[in-house]
Amino acid sequence: MSDQNNNIIEMNNVGIRYDQGPEILSDIKLSLAQGSFHFLTGQSGAGKTSLLSLMYLAQKPSRGQISVFNHNINFTNRDQLASLRRHIGVVFQDFRLIEHLSAFDNVALPLRVSGMDEREIRKRVTELLTWVELDAHMSDKTSTLSGGEKQRVAIARAVINRPDLLLADEPTGNVDNIIAGKLMKLFVELNKLGTTVVIATHSDKIINDFPYPRLHLQNRGLHIYYPADTSVLRGINV
Amino acid sequence: MSENIYISRKQELPLKGENTSVFLQVIISIAVFIFAITLSGVLSIDSMINNWNRSILGSLTVQIIPTDETDKDKAKAAALAYQEKAVEFLQSVNGVLKVTPLSDEQLNELLSPWLGDEVNINDLPAPRIIDVKISPDADIDFTQLAQDLAVASPQASLDNHKLWLNKLIAFADGLNLIASTILLLVAAITSGAIFYTTQMSLGLHHNIIEILHIVGAKDAYVAQQYAKRMAFLGFMGGVIGLLFAIPSIFFIGNLAVDIEGGIISEAGLSIFDWCIIFALPLFSMLIAMLTAYYTVKKTLKKML
Ligand SMILES: Nc1ncnc2c1ncn2[C@@H]1O[C@H](COP(=O)(O)OP(=O)(O)OP(=O)(O)O)[C@@H](O)[C@H]1O
Ligand SMILES: [Mg+2]
Repeated sequence: MSDQNNNIIEMNNVGIRYDQGPEILSDIKLSLAQGSFHFLTGQSGAGKTSLLSLMYLAQKPSRGQISVFNHNINFTNRDQLASLRRHIGVVFQDFRLIEHLSAFDNVALPLRVSGMDEREIRKRVTELLTWVELDAHMSDKTSTLSGGEKQRVAIARAVINRPDLLLADEPTGNVDNIIAGKLMKLFVELNKLGTTVVIATHSDKIINDFPYPRLHLQNRGLHIYYPADTSVLRGINV
Repeated sequence: MSENIYISRKQELPLKGENTSVFLQVIISIAVFIFAITLSGVLSIDSMINNWNRSILGSLTVQIIPTDETDKDKAKAAALAYQEKAVEFLQSVNGVLKVTPLSDEQLNELLSPWLGDEVNINDLPAPRIIDVKISPDADIDFTQLAQDLAVASPQASLDNHKLWLNKLIAFADGLNLIASTILLLVAAITSGAIFYTTQMSLGLHHNIIEILHIVGAKDAYVAQQYAKRMAFLGFMGGVIGLLFAIPSIFFIGNLAVDIEGGIISEAGLSIFDWCIIFALPLFSMLIAMLTAYYTVKKTLKKML
């Protein structure tokens, strides 16, 4: 395997443990090719959120090697990590919005942090919030929004930057089927434009409706299942 | 429709509402108050020492005390002999540039304001005076010099006033050292308070900072928000402290003048000194800002 390749994420012998506890994931080996789309499944507590947190660079593995955008994160300094994170959009299971800020300001965050012109920010954020049907709540504090509305704000924040890598943890858990379908379409569209996508989900319906390969966590290990229709296997590289 | 939606931009970190703000502002005000008063003391002492140094450094006066001899010709001859010895000795001292015994006319001139024009110096047992110019950077131990001079010419005496001033200068230097220590301590305590409140606040806003990191903020982005807030608190605290300090400085100044006009009147603050004192809020702003900035940078380094 060469150092430079078109894998967005590479993991080798990766283990995660919290504090002095046992490893919750062991010997994970994984390559995500650019432009691929994966579901991430596994029982509650299997380690989905933990695995995603390695991908969005919120923690380092207890052991093993991870490369993100061809940067070995063991040798990447803080400012470089911040630069890498600007290419990653994350939707959290618990949203992680800044509660005292408006929906607008929350979605604008990634753009402001990277120093974009305020007028351009206004245009983009307004457009996206309208698309997720939150135009009426743009200046509402996010603490006053419903669960489903918060989730759409969280998704809008994750995609506002047109990220190269989109990681979503249960992104459709709090919305009805119609909105869930619409959000999934958004992810598919982004993927078609080149974004690599990983979605953690418990929803059999979504997994069955979209025939993408599945990263399944079980007994601390990672297993990959391919859908029957192999035409969607582009980008798989294990 | 989106045209008329008013969207306000708020700071991601709600630092304005923090209840440590009042605490910090009070701490900084008190610090700047103490700082301003101590600093005005230091500056006064400095200008006092400068004035004294200027008068003491350039020249020395040596008196030849008249002997008990009653015959005035003999007395004058003796005085002149002692003067000769003193001059000889003084010329041999390192750092002495020029030794000039005053002539009879010059002595008369000096004494006439007190004794009137009619009196002849030669009729009186008046001391003779030697003016000694010394190099300003000469390192002369005046106590030692006075002793050596007495050995060389028993009737010669180094002007007491200068010795006394020298001791006063040593005392003032000591005061200055104490005051400088106070200034350092006050600055250290203030930045310590800022350090700990900033760390506390970082812990309090841990979640928001994590979100900022996730969306790609560098540490500097967070540090700038703290630096901005602390700069404001530092400046406002500084202004409040100064508002209380200025009347106090005038009050203490007046007290000092009442006590001893002679010495303290040389201790006034120059315009330049006042500029420094008025710049204190900028100074406290800078300290607060830099302390906050580096505290954030240092603390966040421990997070991934
Ligand atoms: N910060 C943490 N400190 C200690 N243990 C943790 C931490 N985060 C997760 N764990 C533990 O790691 C294991 C995996 O947790 P994780 O959140 O990754 O599971 P998950 O697959 O996302 O579950 P769910 O489907 O319920 O969201 C759990 O046993 C959990 O208790
Ligand atoms: Mg989870």
